[in-house]
Amino acid sequence: MRSILPEDWTLPAVDELNEAFFTSGRILLQSCAGCGTIQHPPEEICHRCQGTEFETRESSGRGTVYSYTVIHHPAHPKLAQSVPYAVVLVSLDDFPDVRITGNVLNRAFDGVSIGLPVRAVWEEIKTKNGAVYRLPQWEVVE
Amino acid sequence: MHRRTAVVGVGESVYYKRGGAKESEFRLACTAIRRASEDAGLALADIDGFVSYRDERNTPLRLAAALGIRALNFSAQTWGGGGNGCASAVAIADAAVGAGYADHVVVFRALAQGQFRRFGQASGATLAGGSAAFTAPYGLASAPQTMAMDTMRFMHEHGIGQDALAEISLASYEHAQRNPRALRYGTPLTREDYHASRWIAEPFHLFDCCPENDGAAAVVITTMERARDLHKPPVPILAAAQGLDYRASVGAYNAPNFPTAHYRHVGTKLWERAGVGPGDVDVAQFYENFTGPVLMAISEMGFCEPEELDEFVSDGNIRWPDGRLPINTSGGNLGEAYIHGFENINEAVRQLRDESTCQVEGAQLSLSVSGPLAAPGSAILFCRA
Ligand SMILES: [Zn+2]
Repeated sequence: MRSILPEDWTLPAVDELNEAFFTSGRILLQSCAGCGTIQHPPEEICHRCQGTEFETRESSGRGTVYSYTVIHHPAHPKLAQSVPYAVVLVSLDDFPDVRITGNVLNRAFDGVSIGLPVRAVWEEIKTKNGAVYRLPQWEVVE
Repeated sequence: MHRRTAVVGVGESVYYKRGGAKESEFRLACTAIRRASEDAGLALADIDGFVSYRDERNTPLRLAAALGIRALNFSAQTWGGGGNGCASAVAIADAAVGAGYADHVVVFRALAQGQFRRFGQASGATLAGGSAAFTAPYGLASAPQTMAMDTMRFMHEHGIGQDALAEISLASYEHAQRNPRALRYGTPLTREDYHASRWIAEPFHLFDCCPENDGAAAVVITTMERARDLHKPPVPILAAAQGLDYRASVGAYNAPNFPTAHYRHVGTKLWERAGVGPGDVDVAQFYENFTGPVLMAISEMGFCEPEELDEFVSDGNIRWPDGRLPINTSGGNLGEAYIHGFENINEAVRQLRDESTCQVEGAQLSLSVSGPLAAPGSAILFCRA
């Protein structure tokens, strides 16, 4: 179930690179097997050593709101009932150079600001053709 | 500093609000190109190259056949997500003409958003791939929405107020009041109107956002040598630059120097090549997709520190005729028309032919900066012959 946006709104096109991030129910980041460099979003090749073997590193899922916007104008008819809604950019506490986009599930659109402490939660979405997503989302730590 | 090639002709179609053009986008392109070559004193058949950007639909193949081009010697377009390509498209023509690959290259953009997909509308696709997979599912689905995120962080880091955004919009609207080509000619904007306008995506109000329009604009580039025999005084290209900082194109807001408008590197290279600095520029056109990214581009191009932006743009400092640096003197994307920024190239040229409706007296150096926050950035500096 999606709590901010409509059930038929855009989902990630899952591929080999991003599958762990969107389906595992954990914040798994791409880490180069050769040199340990973390890159997000994941890429085909390590930008530091050009290695092509990767592992994942798990974040604690604790973070801080780095930026945000509140969307008032629905850019698509599907979003007409969802506005206004907030979108946040979260910097991970344990990987501060990694920034992850999401929605805040336990605050209204006007309740977010830069600097708020948040933790990752997951929205489980099952599509009609049986695909299962676990989309990372956020809750303000009270 | 090269002055090897010059703009010798500028032209445009009538500009329309979205859906207002009765003729097709292709015919708008033909009109702008015909007027630019007439302005130069060239026959259409003499044009032998075409350059554009961002998946221009009106291809050189169709244009060359339709316009009776004697022989096509060169065609190209730049990469990139949007209006970041205006200046780099002119730079490609400059390189081609300088290298002798073609003699008279047209650089143009035709865009009729009333006939094709609107830029402000999200696709609403079932699936988003690439870096959009990390943003679109959360409701960042159109340019004002995605660019609001960068702008909000930029304002937070540097203490930039909403009035600094307003100043960009107010300058464009004020300058449009003197330009009969401008779609906002006769409809001034007040600071009160700006602040009272509805939010699109915070921190962008309605008047922070470019409109969607129909029209086409074009210039003709040739060598300085050939330019001497043509109608109008040539406007030489002093320098151009396009590019990116280290890994600045990493997606989903993960560039190491986030937030960046992609103009630090462009600025460094441009001033180095031109042998002048931002303080030497007399007049500048800054592509306004949204007002906030213009502020980012102004500071990244080296005009001031981000912390100085509030002061740099306020008190009429960016307005014609008395401002320290008049910007968007035709009205720009916001006030003249959104021809994907190419009208700003035409205006930069007009300033050096004393043809602007907000003419900066005796202007020697005229800058045009393409779309901010879309990568790679590009900018071009014209000088007086
Ligand atoms: Zn590596």
